[in-house]
Amino acid sequence: MVLSFLFLSGVALLLLQTTLLSFLPEWFGRPNLLFLFIVFLGTYLDIYKGAVLTLVFGLIMDIFSGVFLGLHPVIFLVLFFILQFLSRHLTINESIYQIPLVALSYLFTASSIFIFTSILTPENWLYWAWGNEILQALILSMICIPFFNLFHWLTTVFDSNSKKANNHFRRQKTGNRYRKQ
Amino acid sequence: MRKKNKRVRQIKLFVFFSLLLTLLIILIVSTVGRQEFNAPHKLALEIIGTAQYGMTWITKSVKNGWRNYTLLVNVREENVRLREELQKHKAANNKYREAAATNIRLTKLLAIKEAIPTPTLTAEIIGMDPSQWFKTMIIDRGSNDGVQIGMPVITVEGAVGQVTNTSPNYAKILLATDPNSALDGLVQTTRVQGIIKGGGSVFHMEYVLKNNEVLKGDRIITSGLGGVFPKGVPIGTVSKVEKSGRGMFQKIEIEPAADFSQLEHLIIVMRKDPLAK
Repeated sequence: MVLSFLFLSGVALLLLQTTLLSFLPEWFGRPNLLFLFIVFLGTYLDIYKGAVLTLVFGLIMDIFSGVFLGLHPVIFLVLFFILQFLSRHLTINESIYQIPLVALSYLFTASSIFIFTSILTPENWLYWAWGNEILQALILSMICIPFFNLFHWLTTVFDSNSKKANNHFRRQKTGNRYRKQ
Repeated sequence: MRKKNKRVRQIKLFVFFSLLLTLLIILIVSTVGRQEFNAPHKLALEIIGTAQYGMTWITKSVKNGWRNYTLLVNVREENVRLREELQKHKAANNKYREAAATNIRLTKLLAIKEAIPTPTLTAEIIGMDPSQWFKTMIIDRGSNDGVQIGMPVITVEGAVGQVTNTSPNYAKILLATDPNSALDGLVQTTRVQGIIKGGGSVFHMEYVLKNNEVLKGDRIITSGLGGVFPKGVPIGTVSKVEKSGRGMFQKIEIEPAADFSQLEHLIIVMRKDPLAK
């Protein structure tokens, strides 16, 4: 149930991004919602469900973006596993850390695409535009908290096994995660 | 208990690295081989492309509705008493203006269609590339309409790009402004040839020797040599020429003839044997 909901949500975000948001002027910035969704999957979902969804979205992204098949699945999955690792060892699920986390994740993804593409086609010049990258990182950082809260709430509502529903507006506290059980 | 935990951790680590390795292999195999879509890719493009088509239609309707609404607000501010009458005139005026603009656009389309000897097909854009790194778009024509990989895409202003992938009803276009795109071009006046490569929002003309004369303002057209684009399609105008620095070649920047931010209707040149595979 939750997997189907998340899959449909991801597709809807991709649709929104390729149609409605592409009408926004370039200087205004067009938020990369699917990327934000991947970060959400990496921090909130368990490793198996999250990895499967991330792989599927990477494959779909390949159809609608770029020229190299396989580029997005690899980069999205690497990002997903890094976020999984971080969420187990650091308190990144707390909202205060989500802003730098999203910005750094975006810069990691952008630089990975840049490096991979430069390696795959060394004869082509790919342009790193700091202005666009910083604008995108800024937009994503600004919208990440309401976005994560919304999807966290929706996920818990759709997940019949979860008991955490309706707590989405509360600041998440992780407790003493370092205490041995 | 501890031993069991250790084993579980080892299995997870193994699964993680196996997955990573598999994906790296997928990447390498897919990039070394051909870049064509397989059946699942085509199916996904068909399904999501249909949704994109619907979404674009809704977006355009909302946009038109919003435009009409803002016009109405302006009219109301200007003259409240004559609002209804003015609204009617405005609406009629808009309708005529839109009809006239469409007429001009279609006349231009017809003119260019007649100018190009090979059969052409018009297409509408239904989706843009969601990433900032690549310049591609999805159109509402596919292999059922006869669209094939490598076919050139133009507008009334000039060259736009090339078809890179198709599904039965949709196709993906690599824009000429993408860094992975290249086409043969020449300076219209001096006939100096070069390779036009995408540079984000502009083009770069490469492999033009320093002793060749290229000036700011020169018009660049397709040479027809690559076998992809027909000869004489406008590419753009030279905006910058740099001869200083090392190397044999000049650095030439070209302002595109087509306005890539305002693309709406495209023309696909249906060449029988597109070469750019």
